[in-house]
Amino acid sequence: MAKRLLQGNEAVLLGAVKAGATYFAGYPISPSSEVLMAASVYAASHPELRFLQAEDEIASANAIIGASLAGAKSFTATSGPGFSLMQEAIGYAHKLGVPTVFVDVQRVGPATGMPTMPGQGDILQTRYGSSGDYTSIVFYPSTVAECYEYTIRAFNCAEESRSPVVLLSDAFLGHLNEVVDLDAIRVPVVERTLEPLASGHTRLFSGVATYPDGEPATADADEFIRQYEEAKARRLEVSERYAFHEYGWNKDADTLVIAFGITRRIAQPLAPHFALFRPIRIWPVLQDELREIAPRYRRIVVIEGSDGQYASVVERVLYRDVYRVPLLGGRMSLEAVREGLDRIGLLPAELAEAAV
Amino acid sequence: MSYKDKVKTDLFPTIWCPGCGIGLIMTQLAMVMDDLGLDRTNTVMVTGIGCTGRMGAYMQFDSVYTLHGRTLPVAEAIATVRPELNVIVVSGDGDMTSIGGNHLLHAIRRNPRITVLCNNNEIYGLTGGQTGPTTPVGTKTVSSPAGATFSPVNLQGLVNTNGNAFYAKTTVYHQGQMRRAIKEAIEWPGFAFVDITSQCIENNGRRIGFPSANEMLNYYRKEYRQAPPGSTQLANHQLGIVKGRAAEPKAEPAGAGAGKGSGEA
Ligand SMILES: Cc1ncc(C[n+]2csc(CCOP(=O)(O)OP(=O)(O)O)c2C)c(N)n1
Ligand code: SF4
Ligand SMILES: [Mg+2]
Repeated sequence: MAKRLLQGNEAVLLGAVKAGATYFAGYPISPSSEVLMAASVYAASHPELRFLQAEDEIASANAIIGASLAGAKSFTATSGPGFSLMQEAIGYAHKLGVPTVFVDVQRVGPATGMPTMPGQGDILQTRYGSSGDYTSIVFYPSTVAECYEYTIRAFNCAEESRSPVVLLSDAFLGHLNEVVDLDAIRVPVVERTLEPLASGHTRLFSGVATYPDGEPATADADEFIRQYEEAKARRLEVSERYAFHEYGWNKDADTLVIAFGITRRIAQPLAPHFALFRPIRIWPVLQDELREIAPRYRRIVVIEGSDGQYASVVERVLYRDVYRVPLLGGRMSLEAVREGLDRIGLLPAELAEAAV
Repeated sequence: MSYKDKVKTDLFPTIWCPGCGIGLIMTQLAMVMDDLGLDRTNTVMVTGIGCTGRMGAYMQFDSVYTLHGRTLPVAEAIATVRPELNVIVVSGDGDMTSIGGNHLLHAIRRNPRITVLCNNNEIYGLTGGQTGPTTPVGTKTVSSPAGATFSPVNLQGLVNTNGNAFYAKTTVYHQGQMRRAIKEAIEWPGFAFVDITSQCIENNGRRIGFPSANEMLNYYRKEYRQAPPGSTQLANHQLGIVKGRAAEPKAEPAGAGAGKGSGEA
């Protein structure tokens, strides 16, 4: 009911609180720092939210894992190189099966890159960033209201899947201010699923391959595969209930645009001329939905803030070539979208005229 | 109850080499845990990667076997979320001071109520005996064939950068003293670091001229001396406890009395 002006990064914090988060650890980095700062301000008047500004992102990532094991719903927020530093811990959380949430507000990389410019170059890192095989669950909202909603869902999904869930955002979305009515967003909260430490057991939360009794299983392929398949099956099954996406715009058009996060907003003026598929669940990839919708279209164009990361995934899933409109160097604008479409000969005449 | 109830003896023999010093630490830790009433409802273990890190798997507690070098952020978060718990970190010298060095620096600064037992065998045991930040200058190892080049990290100096922290130096030969150090460390109301010299016979000791673990233990017996009572700083090869100023107890630990602080060696 109460409408208010809210920033994407602040909406993430409010979503986390709504989901029952009681532990945050992070390290300042643009464009995610507002999550850390908002968490510190909130914690100052709500001591149930424990707050740590850690020495680095490695500590932050490991701290939220420890906090979750201890019984707190926990999260961190970072960007670019900070997210890279967290990859080892994300793999560890996958190995342990720890529910926790990593928020990655993307900027332009690699390395320090363009710290305040929006990018979408972490799509594949969220899937393959840590070593080894694991089953990632990743959501990417497009509006400030969705930042709030999908933060809650990310926490819920982390609990149900017993795994670290990544919430993607970007510099544009994180810093976007929109009028929202949070009361109108009602997402039931999933309670804790992991029995906290010191509940009377002698469990071993091990990053090393071990048997259930704690003995090393570091050379037992059967045991490894058993544990891996079990974890994978659980994550896939749970993520089925989180298959969020948007399919719309001009469904009768002959070309399907795929865009997500802030890019879907930027591409809005394309609405009369193209159909739209927007994955909100980035991983596991929405394979069934893509395979059902794609055959209706002669062409597919993936517009994204990377040099074809998601496009390559779509091609693999559909076994067909797609057109690419990469928005690089932080140039995530309608102008850049027009240029990109023009380059591949798909810019509708009306839009070309509007540009002049 | 006996200290043996703190250990999963059904998993014995351990994977540690015969003569390794780690088991001597585990035994004393188990005894102290028994003395202080530490059990699986009030205590959590956090261990690193390395031979030392295996200890958590052998003890009757919930235990977090962290990534290499990441014991402290995990332990500190547990202590923050559950201040009533005893959080016992057991980790190797490489884990703690090299890859985990930045976390050590900041854990000392923030002074959480956690106990760190650092098995200081002056070597990377698990990976085959490479030199590390605790290896004495000149020591020939598989990665320093001409002898280790740099001076070891000054752990006491590092810990004592926080006037409230607790530092103890002991060896696996000095079992009584080690036990007292572990006990006082667990009772300490802030960050407590027990620096335990011990032997990695297999991947270090034999290569530097000790025929067996026995000779290494004898060497500790001869080389290490108790520091004079009241010492606020321990010289090289001195054993003792240097307690910082009494920090305000952050929470009364279940099963363990809060420590009182005094410069005592
Ligand atoms: C990120 C990472 N780097 C390197 C390693 C390999 N590694 C495993 S244990 C270890 C060193 C162990 O030395 P220490 O911590 O002193 O333990 P010890 O085996 O001597 O008890 C190393 C380098 C690893 N597991 N993870
Ligand atoms: S390699 Fe060294 S530290 Fe590791 S178990 Fe053997 S003796 Fe102990
Ligand atoms: Mg060592």
